[in-house]
Amino acid sequence: MDSTDLARAEHSARLRYEWARVRRSLIGFAPILIVVGVAVAIGRHRTATVCFGLATFVAGVAMLWYGREFKRAVLPGVAAGIVPLAMALCASHVEHGCTGDGCMMLCVPACTVGGIIAGLAVANIANERGRSVWFWVSASSIALLTGAMGCTCPGYPGLVGLVLGYGAGLVPTLLRRLFARPPAS
Amino acid sequence: MKNEREEEIDALMARLADGDRSVFSLVFKRLWGPTHRLCNSMLKNEADASDAAQQAMQKILERASDYDPKRRAMPWALALAAWECRTLRRRRGRRREEPEDIAGETASESSEEDFLQRDLAQAALVALGELSDVDRETLVATFWEEAATVSGATLRKRRERAIERLRGAFRRLYGFD
Repeated sequence: MDSTDLARAEHSARLRYEWARVRRSLIGFAPILIVVGVAVAIGRHRTATVCFGLATFVAGVAMLWYGREFKRAVLPGVAAGIVPLAMALCASHVEHGCTGDGCMMLCVPACTVGGIIAGLAVANIANERGRSVWFWVSASSIALLTGAMGCTCPGYPGLVGLVLGYGAGLVPTLLRRLFARPPAS
Repeated sequence: MKNEREEEIDALMARLADGDRSVFSLVFKRLWGPTHRLCNSMLKNEADASDAAQQAMQKILERASDYDPKRRAMPWALALAAWECRTLRRRRGRRREEPEDIAGETASESSEEDFLQRDLAQAALVALGELSDVDRETLVATFWEEAATVSGATLRKRRERAIERLRGAFRRLYGFD
Protein backbone atom coordinates (compact mmCIF):
# COMPACT_ATOMS: atom_id res chain seq x y z
CA MET A 1 0.00 0.00 0.00
CA ASP A 2 1.59 3.32 -1.05
CA SER A 3 1.81 6.44 1.10
CA THR A 4 -1.15 8.15 -0.63
CA ASP A 5 -3.44 5.21 0.12
CA LEU A 6 -2.14 5.14 3.68
CA ALA A 7 -2.81 8.86 4.11
CA ARG A 8 -6.31 8.35 2.74
CA ALA A 9 -6.87 5.42 5.10
CA GLU A 10 -5.67 7.50 8.04
CA HIS A 11 -7.95 10.39 7.06
CA SER A 12 -10.92 8.04 6.79
CA ALA A 13 -10.08 6.49 10.17
CA ARG A 14 -9.82 9.96 11.71
CA LEU A 15 -13.32 10.86 10.45
CA ARG A 16 -14.72 7.62 11.91
CA TYR A 17 -12.97 8.41 15.21
CA GLU A 18 -14.50 11.89 15.38
CA TRP A 19 -17.99 10.72 14.40
CA ALA A 20 -17.83 7.98 17.01
CA ARG A 21 -16.92 10.58 19.64
CA VAL A 22 -19.83 12.80 18.56
CA ARG A 23 -22.28 9.85 18.76
CA ARG A 24 -20.90 8.84 22.13
CA SER A 25 -21.25 12.42 23.44
CA LEU A 26 -24.82 12.78 22.20
CA ILE A 27 -25.87 9.52 23.80
CA GLY A 28 -23.85 10.15 26.95
CA PHE A 29 -25.29 13.58 27.58
CA ALA A 30 -28.87 12.82 26.46
CA PRO A 31 -30.10 12.26 30.05
CA ILE A 32 -29.69 16.01 30.68
CA LEU A 33 -32.71 16.47 28.42
CA ILE A 34 -34.81 14.89 31.18
CA VAL A 35 -33.62 17.63 33.53
CA VAL A 36 -34.40 20.22 30.87
CA GLY A 37 -37.86 18.73 30.40
CA VAL A 38 -38.59 18.88 34.12
CA ALA A 39 -37.32 22.49 34.33
CA VAL A 40 -39.50 23.50 31.36
CA ALA A 41 -42.55 21.75 32.83
CA ILE A 42 -42.14 23.34 36.26
CA GLY A 43 -40.53 26.68 35.39
CA ARG A 44 -42.29 29.96 34.69
CA HIS A 45 -40.31 31.34 31.78
CA ARG A 46 -40.45 28.38 29.45
CA THR A 47 -38.74 30.01 26.47
CA ALA A 48 -35.74 31.13 28.49
CA THR A 49 -35.56 27.73 30.19
CA VAL A 50 -35.57 25.97 26.80
CA CYS A 51 -32.84 28.29 25.54
CA PHE A 52 -30.61 27.67 28.55
CA GLY A 53 -31.42 23.97 28.39
CA LEU A 54 -30.38 23.73 24.75
CA ALA A 55 -27.25 25.76 25.47
CA THR A 56 -26.41 23.35 28.32
CA PHE A 57 -26.94 20.35 26.04
CA VAL A 58 -24.82 21.77 23.22
CA ALA A 59 -22.05 22.86 25.60
CA GLY A 60 -22.03 19.48 27.35
CA VAL A 61 -21.93 17.52 24.08
CA ALA A 62 -19.13 19.72 22.76
CA MET A 63 -17.10 19.24 25.94
CA LEU A 64 -17.61 15.48 25.97
CA TRP A 65 -16.68 15.29 22.28
CA TYR A 66 -13.51 17.34 22.77
CA GLY A 67 -12.42 15.24 25.73
CA ARG A 68 -9.61 15.75 28.21
CA GLU A 69 -10.21 18.34 30.97
CA PHE A 70 -13.41 19.54 29.32
CA LYS A 71 -14.90 16.06 29.43
CA ARG A 72 -13.95 15.63 33.08
CA ALA A 73 -15.68 18.93 33.95
CA VAL A 74 -19.11 17.97 32.60
CA LEU A 75 -20.40 15.71 35.35
CA PRO A 76 -19.19 17.89 38.27
CA GLY A 77 -20.56 20.97 36.48
CA VAL A 78 -24.00 19.44 35.97
CA ALA A 79 -24.13 18.08 39.53
CA ALA A 80 -23.19 21.50 40.93
CA GLY A 81 -25.65 23.33 38.65
CA ILE A 82 -28.56 21.13 39.70
CA VAL A 83 -28.40 22.65 43.20
CA PRO A 84 -29.41 26.23 42.23
CA LEU A 85 -31.79 24.79 39.61
CA ALA A 86 -33.63 22.67 42.16
CA MET A 87 -33.65 25.42 44.80
CA ALA A 88 -35.02 27.99 42.36
CA LEU A 89 -37.70 25.66 41.00
CA CYS A 90 -38.80 24.73 44.53
CA ALA A 91 -38.78 28.38 45.66
CA SER A 92 -40.94 29.45 42.74
CA HIS A 93 -43.59 26.92 43.79
CA VAL A 94 -43.66 27.82 47.48
CA GLU A 95 -46.53 30.13 48.42
CA HIS A 96 -44.87 33.37 49.37
CA GLY A 97 -47.03 36.07 47.86
CA CYS A 98 -44.52 37.01 45.19
CA THR A 99 -45.79 37.96 41.80
CA GLY A 100 -44.10 39.01 38.57
CA ASP A 101 -40.42 39.24 37.80
CA GLY A 102 -37.80 40.34 40.24
CA CYS A 103 -39.29 38.47 43.15
CA MET A 104 -36.82 39.10 45.94
CA MET A 105 -38.43 37.09 48.73
CA LEU A 106 -37.49 33.52 47.88
CA CYS A 107 -36.53 33.00 44.25
CA VAL A 108 -33.54 35.37 44.06
CA PRO A 109 -32.08 34.27 47.43
CA ALA A 110 -32.58 30.64 46.36
CA CYS A 111 -30.59 31.30 43.18
CA THR A 112 -27.88 33.16 45.11
CA VAL A 113 -27.49 30.51 47.82
CA GLY A 114 -27.67 27.75 45.20
CA GLY A 115 -24.97 29.56 43.25
CA ILE A 116 -22.73 29.76 46.33
CA ILE A 117 -23.12 26.02 46.96
CA ALA A 118 -22.42 25.26 43.30
CA GLY A 119 -19.32 27.46 43.30
CA LEU A 120 -18.00 25.87 46.48
CA ALA A 121 -18.59 22.39 45.04
CA VAL A 122 -16.82 23.05 41.74
CA ALA A 123 -13.92 24.84 43.43
CA ASN A 124 -13.49 22.03 45.92
CA ILE A 125 -13.46 19.32 43.27
CA ALA A 126 -11.11 21.27 41.00
CA ASN A 127 -8.72 22.02 43.84
CA GLU A 128 -8.68 18.50 45.35
CA ARG A 129 -8.07 16.85 41.99
CA GLY A 130 -5.49 19.42 40.88
CA ARG A 131 -7.42 20.30 37.73
CA SER A 132 -6.32 22.86 35.18
CA VAL A 133 -7.89 26.25 34.51
CA TRP A 134 -9.84 24.69 31.63
CA PHE A 135 -11.59 22.42 34.10
CA TRP A 136 -12.59 25.43 36.21
CA VAL A 137 -13.89 27.28 33.15
CA SER A 138 -15.77 24.28 31.70
CA ALA A 139 -17.32 23.14 34.96
CA SER A 140 -18.35 26.70 35.78
CA SER A 141 -19.98 27.16 32.36
CA ILE A 142 -21.97 23.96 32.65
CA ALA A 143 -22.93 24.69 36.28
CA LEU A 144 -24.14 28.20 35.47
CA LEU A 145 -26.06 27.11 32.36
CA THR A 146 -27.72 24.29 34.31
CA GLY A 147 -28.61 26.58 37.22
CA ALA A 148 -29.84 29.27 34.87
CA MET A 149 -32.64 26.98 33.66
CA GLY A 150 -34.29 27.39 37.07
CA CYS A 151 -33.13 30.91 37.88
CA THR A 152 -35.12 32.43 35.04
CA CYS A 153 -38.15 32.18 37.34
CA PRO A 154 -37.57 35.58 38.93
CA GLY A 155 -36.17 36.96 35.67
CA TYR A 156 -32.81 38.74 35.35
CA PRO A 157 -32.28 39.28 39.10
CA GLY A 158 -32.31 35.51 39.51
CA LEU A 159 -29.58 35.07 36.94
CA VAL A 160 -27.50 37.88 38.46
CA GLY A 161 -27.93 36.30 41.90
CA LEU A 162 -26.82 32.94 40.53
CA VAL A 163 -23.66 34.36 38.93
CA LEU A 164 -22.73 36.48 41.96
CA GLY A 165 -23.40 33.59 44.33
CA TYR A 166 -21.34 31.23 42.17
CA GLY A 167 -18.46 33.69 42.09
CA ALA A 168 -18.65 34.07 45.86
CA GLY A 169 -18.52 30.29 46.19
CA LEU A 170 -15.29 30.14 44.20
CA VAL A 171 -13.54 32.85 46.23
CA PRO A 172 -12.46 30.87 49.35
CA THR A 173 -10.74 28.17 47.33
CA LEU A 174 -9.18 30.68 44.95
CA LEU A 175 -7.81 32.65 47.89
CA ARG A 176 -6.49 29.45 49.46
CA ARG A 177 -4.65 28.66 46.25
CA LEU A 178 -3.37 32.19 45.89
CA PHE A 179 -1.97 32.40 49.40
CA ALA A 180 -0.93 28.75 49.71
CA ARG A 181 2.60 28.40 51.04
CA PRO A 182 4.97 26.87 48.47
CA PRO A 183 6.32 23.45 49.55
CA ALA A 184 9.56 23.65 51.55
CA SER A 185 12.58 22.99 49.30
CA MET B 1 12.31 -3.58 24.33
CA LYS B 2 9.02 -5.32 23.57
CA ASN B 3 7.65 -4.29 26.98
CA GLU B 4 8.59 -0.67 26.30
CA ARG B 5 6.85 -0.81 22.94
CA GLU B 6 3.74 -2.34 24.49
CA GLU B 7 3.71 0.27 27.22
CA GLU B 8 4.14 3.00 24.66
CA ILE B 9 1.17 1.86 22.55
CA ASP B 10 -0.95 1.43 25.71
CA ALA B 11 -0.13 5.00 26.77
CA LEU B 12 -0.78 6.40 23.29
CA MET B 13 -4.11 4.60 23.00
CA ALA B 14 -5.15 5.87 26.44
CA ARG B 15 -4.34 9.43 25.38
CA LEU B 16 -6.30 9.01 22.16
CA ALA B 17 -9.26 7.60 24.11
CA ASP B 18 -9.09 10.68 26.31
CA GLY B 19 -9.32 12.95 23.25
CA ASP B 20 -5.67 13.84 22.63
CA ARG B 21 -5.76 14.07 18.83
CA SER B 22 -2.06 14.94 18.61
CA VAL B 23 -1.22 11.21 18.95
CA PHE B 24 -3.66 10.02 16.27
CA SER B 25 -1.11 9.69 13.48
CA LEU B 26 1.37 8.00 15.80
CA VAL B 27 -1.23 5.45 16.93
CA PHE B 28 -2.22 4.82 13.32
CA LYS B 29 1.40 4.21 12.26
CA ARG B 30 2.15 1.99 15.30
CA LEU B 31 -0.92 -0.17 14.70
CA TRP B 32 -0.86 -0.30 10.90
CA GLY B 33 2.20 -2.55 10.57
CA PRO B 34 1.12 -5.33 12.98
CA THR B 35 -2.49 -5.14 11.75
CA HIS B 36 -1.47 -5.43 8.10
CA ARG B 37 0.91 -8.30 8.84
CA LEU B 38 -1.79 -10.14 10.78
CA CYS B 39 -4.29 -9.72 7.94
CA ASN B 40 -1.67 -10.91 5.46
CA SER B 41 -0.96 -14.02 7.50
CA MET B 42 -4.68 -14.79 7.90
CA LEU B 43 -5.83 -14.04 4.35
CA LYS B 44 -2.71 -14.97 2.35
CA ASN B 45 -3.64 -12.41 -0.29
CA GLU B 46 -2.22 -8.88 -0.48
CA ALA B 47 -5.35 -7.22 -1.91
CA ASP B 48 -7.69 -8.80 0.65
CA ALA B 49 -5.19 -8.15 3.44
CA SER B 50 -5.00 -4.45 2.55
CA ASP B 51 -8.80 -4.19 2.47
CA ALA B 52 -9.16 -6.01 5.76
CA ALA B 53 -6.37 -4.00 7.40
CA GLN B 54 -7.95 -0.71 6.31
CA GLN B 55 -11.35 -1.76 7.61
CA ALA B 56 -9.77 -3.05 10.80
CA MET B 57 -7.91 0.23 11.39
CA GLN B 58 -11.12 2.16 10.87
CA LYS B 59 -12.93 -0.05 13.33
CA ILE B 60 -10.09 0.11 15.87
CA LEU B 61 -9.89 3.88 15.73
CA GLU B 62 -13.66 4.25 15.69
CA ARG B 63 -13.68 2.38 18.99
CA ALA B 64 -10.59 4.12 20.36
CA SER B 65 -12.74 6.21 22.73
CA ASP B 66 -14.06 2.96 24.24
CA TYR B 67 -10.55 1.68 24.95
CA ASP B 68 -10.10 0.69 28.59
CA PRO B 69 -6.61 1.74 29.77
CA LYS B 70 -6.58 -1.22 32.18
CA ARG B 71 -6.34 -3.58 29.19
CA ARG B 72 -3.42 -3.95 26.79
CA ALA B 73 -3.96 -2.09 23.54
CA MET B 74 -2.24 -4.38 21.04
CA PRO B 75 -4.20 -7.60 21.82
CA TRP B 76 -7.38 -5.55 21.78
CA ALA B 77 -6.54 -4.02 18.39
CA LEU B 78 -5.36 -7.32 16.88
CA ALA B 79 -8.49 -9.11 18.09
CA LEU B 80 -10.55 -6.54 16.17
CA ALA B 81 -8.32 -7.00 13.14
CA ALA B 82 -8.65 -10.80 13.31
CA TRP B 83 -12.42 -10.44 13.47
CA GLU B 84 -12.38 -8.21 10.37
CA CYS B 85 -10.28 -10.79 8.53
CA ARG B 86 -12.73 -13.56 9.39
CA THR B 87 -15.64 -11.35 8.34
CA LEU B 88 -13.98 -10.57 5.03
CA ARG B 89 -13.17 -14.21 4.44
CA ARG B 90 -16.78 -15.21 5.10
CA ARG B 91 -18.04 -12.42 2.87
CA ARG B 92 -15.74 -13.27 0.00
CA GLY B 93 -16.52 -16.94 0.53
CA ARG B 94 -13.78 -18.40 -1.50
CA ARG B 95 -10.95 -20.76 -0.68
CA ARG B 96 -7.55 -19.37 -1.49
CA GLU B 97 -4.72 -21.61 -2.47
CA GLU B 98 -1.45 -20.57 -1.07
CA PRO B 99 0.46 -18.83 -3.90
CA GLU B 100 3.94 -20.15 -4.73
CA ASP B 101 5.68 -16.95 -3.70
CA ILE B 102 4.16 -16.98 -0.19
CA ALA B 103 4.96 -20.65 0.41
CA GLY B 104 8.63 -19.78 0.64
CA GLU B 105 8.02 -17.01 3.17
CA THR B 106 6.06 -19.16 5.62
CA ALA B 107 9.19 -21.12 6.43
CA SER B 108 10.82 -18.14 8.13
CA GLU B 109 8.59 -16.86 10.96
CA SER B 110 9.81 -13.42 11.99
CA SER B 111 9.87 -12.38 15.63
CA GLU B 112 7.12 -9.87 14.70
CA GLU B 113 4.92 -12.80 13.64
CA ASP B 114 5.56 -14.45 17.02
CA PHE B 115 4.71 -11.16 18.72
CA LEU B 116 1.39 -10.97 16.85
CA GLN B 117 0.52 -14.59 17.54
CA ARG B 118 1.38 -14.10 21.20
CA ASP B 119 -0.92 -11.10 21.44
CA LEU B 120 -3.76 -12.98 19.75
CA ALA B 121 -3.25 -15.96 22.03
CA GLN B 122 -3.30 -13.63 25.01
CA ALA B 123 -6.54 -12.05 23.80
CA ALA B 124 -8.05 -15.54 23.49
CA LEU B 125 -6.82 -16.52 26.94
CA VAL B 126 -8.28 -13.37 28.49
CA ALA B 127 -11.64 -14.23 26.92
CA LEU B 128 -11.28 -17.81 28.16
CA GLY B 129 -10.61 -16.46 31.62
CA GLU B 130 -14.03 -14.81 31.63
CA LEU B 131 -15.74 -18.19 31.44
CA SER B 132 -16.74 -20.52 34.25
CA ASP B 133 -14.60 -23.54 35.24
CA VAL B 134 -17.04 -25.90 33.57
CA ASP B 135 -16.93 -23.99 30.27
CA ARG B 136 -13.13 -23.83 30.35
CA GLU B 137 -12.84 -27.55 31.05
CA THR B 138 -15.25 -28.31 28.21
CA LEU B 139 -13.31 -26.16 25.72
CA VAL B 140 -9.96 -27.61 26.78
CA ALA B 141 -11.40 -31.11 26.37
CA THR B 142 -12.70 -30.20 22.93
CA PHE B 143 -9.73 -28.38 21.44
CA TRP B 144 -6.85 -30.05 23.25
CA GLU B 145 -8.48 -33.50 23.13
CA GLU B 146 -8.04 -34.06 26.83
CA ALA B 147 -10.34 -36.29 28.84
CA ALA B 148 -13.52 -34.58 30.00
CA THR B 149 -15.59 -35.51 33.03
CA VAL B 150 -18.61 -36.04 30.81
CA SER B 151 -19.05 -37.43 27.31
CA GLY B 152 -21.58 -37.89 24.52
CA ALA B 153 -24.62 -35.65 24.32
CA THR B 154 -23.83 -33.86 27.61
CA LEU B 155 -20.37 -32.89 26.34
CA ARG B 156 -21.81 -31.73 23.01
CA LYS B 157 -24.39 -29.53 24.71
CA ARG B 158 -21.80 -28.07 27.09
CA ARG B 159 -19.44 -27.45 24.16
CA GLU B 160 -22.13 -25.51 22.25
CA ARG B 161 -22.93 -23.35 25.27
CA ALA B 162 -19.24 -22.80 26.10
CA ILE B 163 -18.44 -21.68 22.53
CA GLU B 164 -21.43 -19.32 22.59
CA ARG B 165 -20.27 -17.86 25.89
CA LEU B 166 -16.72 -17.54 24.55
CA ARG B 167 -18.08 -15.57 21.57
CA GLY B 168 -20.02 -13.37 23.97
CA ALA B 169 -16.87 -12.79 26.06
CA PHE B 170 -14.95 -11.78 22.93
CA ARG B 171 -17.70 -9.31 22.01
CA ARG B 172 -17.77 -7.84 25.50
CA LEU B 173 -14.01 -7.53 25.81
CA TYR B 174 -13.11 -6.35 22.35
CA GLY B 175 -16.35 -4.59 21.51
CA PHE B 176 -17.09 -5.93 18.08
CA ASP B 177 -20.35 -7.35 16.74
